[in-house]
Amino acid sequence: MKPQRKRRLTTVFLILISSAFGSFLIIKALDTNLDFFFTPSELYSQNIPDNKRIKVGGMVLEGSVKRDKTNIIFEITDYKNSITVNFNGIVPDLFQEGSGVVVLGYMNKDVILAEEVLAKHDENYMPPNLEIEK
Amino acid sequence: MSKFAFNSISEAFTMQSLNGQNHGLYVWSVLAIVFFTLLITFLVYKYKLKKISKKIK
Amino acid sequence: MIKKFIHQFASPKTYLFQVTRAYPYIFVISILIYIISIFWGLFLTPEDFVQGNSYRIIYLHVPASFISQALYGGMAIASAIFLIWKVKLSAYLVKSIAPIGAMTTFIALISGSIWGIPTWGTWWAWDARIVSTLILFIMYLGLISLHDSFANYEKADKFLAVLVLVGSVNIPIIKMSVEWWSTLHQSASITISDKPTIDPSMLYPLFGSMIGFTGIVVCLVILSSKLHIFVREKNKSWIKDYV
Repeated sequence: MKPQRKRRLTTVFLILISSAFGSFLIIKALDTNLDFFFTPSELYSQNIPDNKRIKVGGMVLEGSVKRDKTNIIFEITDYKNSITVNFNGIVPDLFQEGSGVVVLGYMNKDVILAEEVLAKHDENYMPPNLEIEK
Repeated sequence: MSKFAFNSISEAFTMQSLNGQNHGLYVWSVLAIVFFTLLITFLVYKYKLKKISKKIK
Repeated sequence: MIKKFIHQFASPKTYLFQVTRAYPYIFVISILIYIISIFWGLFLTPEDFVQGNSYRIIYLHVPASFISQALYGGMAIASAIFLIWKVKLSAYLVKSIAPIGAMTTFIALISGSIWGIPTWGTWWAWDARIVSTLILFIMYLGLISLHDSFANYEKADKFLAVLVLVGSVNIPIIKMSVEWWSTLHQSASITISDKPTIDPSMLYPLFGSMIGFTGIVVCLVILSSKLHIFVREKNKSWIKDYV
């Protein structure tokens, strides 16, 4: 390789490495501020003030869903800890016991008053009859 | 290939799922958006190429 | 010999003649594969056990998302080749891929939003995967307007190539966002290392739609690069003969 090209090759690598390093720092700094969701266990370990809007994700604990008109009370679990959620509104179609859920709301005396309930599904796709066979 | 998932054209249009929800609106609107976006992109490039070819001549 | 071959193909003239010859074949074959796969996916596959029929959007959403990342990868490689070896054709390609990439990212975002309504219960979430894809879309638009804002093409090429390389860090971030952070978006169903988590009856049309869509996008890149070569080389004598 000609020395001139070698120099340009080094420049290209320098650009790549420095931009990768720069964005790594940015992501590191944002990591604590961006609202990715907490699991119930993380919630208990990090004292969260009552007036802070938080996102909590996990599974809907089986047998915990209680409906009362438009009000719905259920528990989110990560199979170690769980937390009660109180939500007034319409839940998504995919919301069911034992499936993934992400809620957005405020903590209030160990209960989450949810403003939004979103269903989270996993990366598995299969026909319904195969699932019954399993 | 497996058999048809829907028994009639109207069933394929509404796409009712096992939980009773109709998903046809979502699937068909995405299909329409993809189709028209591709079509418009092709037409725009064909038109631009025609215009510049004329200019070069 | 290889060197001679590369040099020849790297000339815009040879490139133009070769792709014009290949274009109709790629176009017909990829359109056929795409239509068959979409028909198969939308009507011949069973519905999903969780998402029901709404999962069928996968056949339209995944190819577009995949291609919008792959096109950026292509742009980054072309940029490196241009910066190191000063191949003019690769600078042309960088400029021509950008609008097509913006178009496919647009499809990926819109189809993902519509898919989110029946499954997640929302059309938009500030989720790592979605935000990084939105950044990709904005980057494509920025690169297009940046190149257009220069009066001097040579300067524009160089600047564009450097910025494409800087922005390429976003691609692994998009790829890994669903692994690194807890996101609403599910993890990848098709990976190189593990068995796909999609039932085979649903997987084959998905591969077909990805191959077909890739071919269609290649056709669009050919048209776009043709246009840009016409713009850049319009004063050359061979262009007049070609047209």
